[in-house]
Amino acid sequence: MRGARSAKWVAGAIVIALAATACGGSDDDSGDDNDSGKAGGTFRMGITEPVAIDPYNAQESEGILVTDNLFTGLYEPTSDGEVVPALATSKEVSSDGKTWTFKIKAGTKFSNGEPVNAEAFIRGWSRVAQKSAASDVAYHMAGIAGFDDVQAGKADTLSGLSAPDENTLQVKLSAPDFEFDIKTSHTVFSPVPEAAGDAKNKTYNEAPIGNGPFKMQGKWEHNKSITLVRNDDYGLTKAQLDTVQIDILNANNGVTLEYQGFESGQYDWARMPTPQLPTAKAKYEPQDEWIQQDTNGMNYLLPITDNGPMKDQKAREAVSYAIDRDAIIKGVFQGMYTKSTTILPPVFQDVYQKDLCTSCIKQDKAKAKQLASEAGLEPGSTLELAYNTGSGHEEWIQAVQQQLEDVLGVKVTATGKPFAELLEDQQKSGATGLYRYAWGADYPTPDNYLFPLLDTASINKDSSGNVTGDNRSRYSNKAFDDLVAQARASNDPAARNELYKQAEKVAMDDMALIPLWNRTQLRLANTKEFANIEMDFHENPNLAEISQK
Amino acid sequence: MTELVTGTGEPTAADPTAAKQGAEPSVARVSQWADIRHRFFANKLAVVGLAIIVLLILTAVFAPLLAPHDPLRQDLNATLQSPGSGHLLGTDALGRDQLSRLIYGSRIAVIVGLASIFVALSIGIVLGALAGYFGRWVDTVIMRTADIFFAFPLLIGAIVIILLMGRGVLPVVLSLGVFQWATFARLLRSQILSVREMDFVHAAQALGASRSRIIRKHILPNSLTSVLVYGTSNVGIAIVAEASLSYLGVGVDPEVAEWGNMISAGRGFMGAKDFMWTYPSIAIVITALGFVLLGNGLRDALDPKLR
Amino acid sequence: MGRYVARRLGQLIVVVLGATMILFACLFVLPGDPVGQIAGSDKARDPAVIKQLHEQYGLDEPLVVQYGNYVGNLVTGDLGEDYTQGRPVTEILVPKLGNTAKLAVFAIAIDIVIGIAVGVVAAMRRYSIWDVSATFVTTLAIGVPSIVLGMIMQRFFVVELNWFPLIADGSFKSMVLPAVTLAIIDAALVAQLARSAMLEVLRADYVKTAVAKGLSRRTVLFRHVLRNSVIPVITYLGISFGTLLGGAIITETIFNWNGIGLALIQAIQQNNNPIIVGVVTISVAVFVLLNLVVDLLYAALDPRIRLA
Repeated sequence: MRGARSAKWVAGAIVIALAATACGGSDDDSGDDNDSGKAGGTFRMGITEPVAIDPYNAQESEGILVTDNLFTGLYEPTSDGEVVPALATSKEVSSDGKTWTFKIKAGTKFSNGEPVNAEAFIRGWSRVAQKSAASDVAYHMAGIAGFDDVQAGKADTLSGLSAPDENTLQVKLSAPDFEFDIKTSHTVFSPVPEAAGDAKNKTYNEAPIGNGPFKMQGKWEHNKSITLVRNDDYGLTKAQLDTVQIDILNANNGVTLEYQGFESGQYDWARMPTPQLPTAKAKYEPQDEWIQQDTNGMNYLLPITDNGPMKDQKAREAVSYAIDRDAIIKGVFQGMYTKSTTILPPVFQDVYQKDLCTSCIKQDKAKAKQLASEAGLEPGSTLELAYNTGSGHEEWIQAVQQQLEDVLGVKVTATGKPFAELLEDQQKSGATGLYRYAWGADYPTPDNYLFPLLDTASINKDSSGNVTGDNRSRYSNKAFDDLVAQARASNDPAARNELYKQAEKVAMDDMALIPLWNRTQLRLANTKEFANIEMDFHENPNLAEISQK
Repeated sequence: MTELVTGTGEPTAADPTAAKQGAEPSVARVSQWADIRHRFFANKLAVVGLAIIVLLILTAVFAPLLAPHDPLRQDLNATLQSPGSGHLLGTDALGRDQLSRLIYGSRIAVIVGLASIFVALSIGIVLGALAGYFGRWVDTVIMRTADIFFAFPLLIGAIVIILLMGRGVLPVVLSLGVFQWATFARLLRSQILSVREMDFVHAAQALGASRSRIIRKHILPNSLTSVLVYGTSNVGIAIVAEASLSYLGVGVDPEVAEWGNMISAGRGFMGAKDFMWTYPSIAIVITALGFVLLGNGLRDALDPKLR
Repeated sequence: MGRYVARRLGQLIVVVLGATMILFACLFVLPGDPVGQIAGSDKARDPAVIKQLHEQYGLDEPLVVQYGNYVGNLVTGDLGEDYTQGRPVTEILVPKLGNTAKLAVFAIAIDIVIGIAVGVVAAMRRYSIWDVSATFVTTLAIGVPSIVLGMIMQRFFVVELNWFPLIADGSFKSMVLPAVTLAIIDAALVAQLARSAMLEVLRADYVKTAVAKGLSRRTVLFRHVLRNSVIPVITYLGISFGTLLGGAIITETIFNWNGIGLALIQAIQQNNNPIIVGVVTISVAVFVLLNLVVDLLYAALDPRIRLA
């Protein structure tokens, strides 16, 4: 899911969440400069105020930027949707999928000298799970045996975690999960030293002591800055940069400031405001300072499938056909997005099924009208289209509104609401119509889209019929649920992916979500002074690998 | 002078010193409309102000005739076009005609400006008069309530109401009205207090005029003039506040053709597509200036000694 | 005098309580759970976490109890904890309040220096070219709203000429444009006010007497005229300092100034109610306090006024 990167949907929304044609085109930006790299230098960038930089609650891209560089866990996600080992030297899963055994690289240390051993992982994970932590990311651990007891305050340590020896971590799960290793790539699974104390230890929250390629210099100066310096005792490949200077900018115009800062040479990495994209692209792409990548995120219209005008699959397909994605991308997004034709993002290359959504490929007014009339979505009827305000969604929503009205002859009421109100609206039992929706995975697996967004188990209605899960389209199809369950029970990554693809097709045929456009991220990177700059899985610069030219 | 709180309340009035010195609103003011009119029209700037306002209102009334396009009609194939032949002032990010949006924007300005001041004046005059007439606990309750409303900076207060009611024209009108009445109430009340002590009132009393006649014929007319003048010049303030709310994303709905929305939408294009925010800016400046000139002209016409 | 101040402080408390009560009532009826989702995402929070947060922030209590707790804490200077980071609101807002105050003080300084100077010159040289142009310029300045002025100055001085930094880092240089934007309308009003107050005083009998007594021009100007004409100006400045905090919302948004105005706008988008209540409480309290200070100053300057 998307605790994380989505803070950006709010802060810069459209501004940042841009789409792109060529993904990975940026990878070769700096590829051949490897040899010229040398240690030293200060890398400067701007972010908006994170929620937390302590792994217990780091969640959005900005917080993860810091946490990820302060801590190193078992596995790391790569920018192209894979995971690679970090401190894990081996992994082993039992045939029932319920016991995982990880070997941890021996002899590495936290920056305060404490050892990074299995105990440090147990400490870190248990700390997050405690009730008093009220962590937004603790649910990633929900599968570990003993989670409920720790949440309820009955235990301090997750009973499913044990250390058969100093450098072996054994994890017992309450249900089979053959992708647990992938989940550990999230920063919430970081080890912490004894100095961390519990999750509410303010001193540690503001200046976490970790085992990552960088360490804090001073503490987090709220709304001002965070400074990272190289950890020379790092247990894996050491970073090259001496210092990373992160300015904390105001969310309101942080994007503009980053861009202006880059232009004036104050920053080495920057996002850009949408209006400036054409200019910026023309200027920086020839200089090899332009990074454009479709990342792990998708934009949808969320139809309420159990009630109201979107109950019928044909009505949803009619809406999809009625939208001219190309025109909106060209007109509103300056041509910088790519349209979506799938539920899963293209960054999951192994499962990507381009053009799976036939109604997404091109606007077809005739088909849209015909399907609408078959579904009883008559001209003159009313369709709700709700979105959250203050996040830059106003313009494209208006464009969609007009297209639906023009093509289908329906009356579309577009209502902007504050985020909390929008959520309550989506959750309540009588909800109808369409909602703006965006999603990104916490770790690179299709499961992190399909299960929370579309599985029947993720509807999770409470006693009054309100949806508390993230499947707020209330999509429920046994065939889909079965395929996802089979995938989850499979120990073979290839077979698993095949099942995920089939599941996605089922949901797509049902138009359980209406894809709009991919999440394309655009950045400017100072490749004149730095080598090896790339955008990582969290849409941040790969600080640990960057070097000075 | 126990009521210094109120004393400090109205210096933003058209004539900020009037309340303090309240000494000489002329007895004959009411009967001297001809004089006032004469003085007003002799003031060139005031006439310019009046002309601007008249023009604004005419634009608002005849917007459908004046606007070359439908201000809401999108054209995604013609977004962000620079001013030129097809679209005199260019198009916005959804390809809507900027000139038409500008023309229709005058409607929101006029409606919100007048309606919010009307709301504020209505509440303010009723409560201010009650406080001024009855004094004692009525006065205390009303004026302490006014203190509370007065203490909210206008925009902050308005934002709170809009949070509650959602975006839209009506919430904007009400929020601006609700957070401006206190000023009018205070002004009226202090005017009543000072007029009440004036020689001509005492003279009327001595001549045996009834209490209600004194209130109707002497106190109210003489007290109301400055309130109404202040109200007039505040229409401009209300229009600017309304545009500011939209600029902040808490005003009328975003699709509405409105100047603050247009500036807000053009903000990100600063340096690249400046036409997006400069034209609505000019419209706001001219309008605000018109009301300032009109307000000044009225003030001077009523109370010429400070010219 | 002491009793007067005590009574006014009592009124201050009533006003602040009234204002927070209105605000509480408003925020409470807002639809949606302010801690219902993970900040900035479409992801619903885990119900267990929501429950824990409700306990932590006292959201499970009835409104009256919440308000009582708030007021109870307010007395000790505690404004609660914010919903996104769980940090004390005072810790978050105090530095921002400092930033806003810096801007406001700078703006007031501009108001005083420019406003009074222009006003005095215009009054002394009445109907001269100086007076006429002062009237013209001040009228124009009053007519240009801060959204427009701020945008124009940013376009011209930052984007075009690059004279000032775009990133408001709190330095003097980065303060200039926002302070000018904040000040200009008031400076113009102060100038007009100072002019008319001076003209008023110049006509007063005591000035004529002083001149007749043969006092030097300078003595008359400084001891009598300026001192007396400054009274309405001070009154006005007191009020405007209070409203500056409100006007700062616009200025801070345009120039990205990290003050309480910007904090308010951000908090509204995030349903971060403790910050909203905190900002409003602070600005209301500051406003009322300043009024008191102005009245005291007023009495000190004008012996005819007695506070009772």
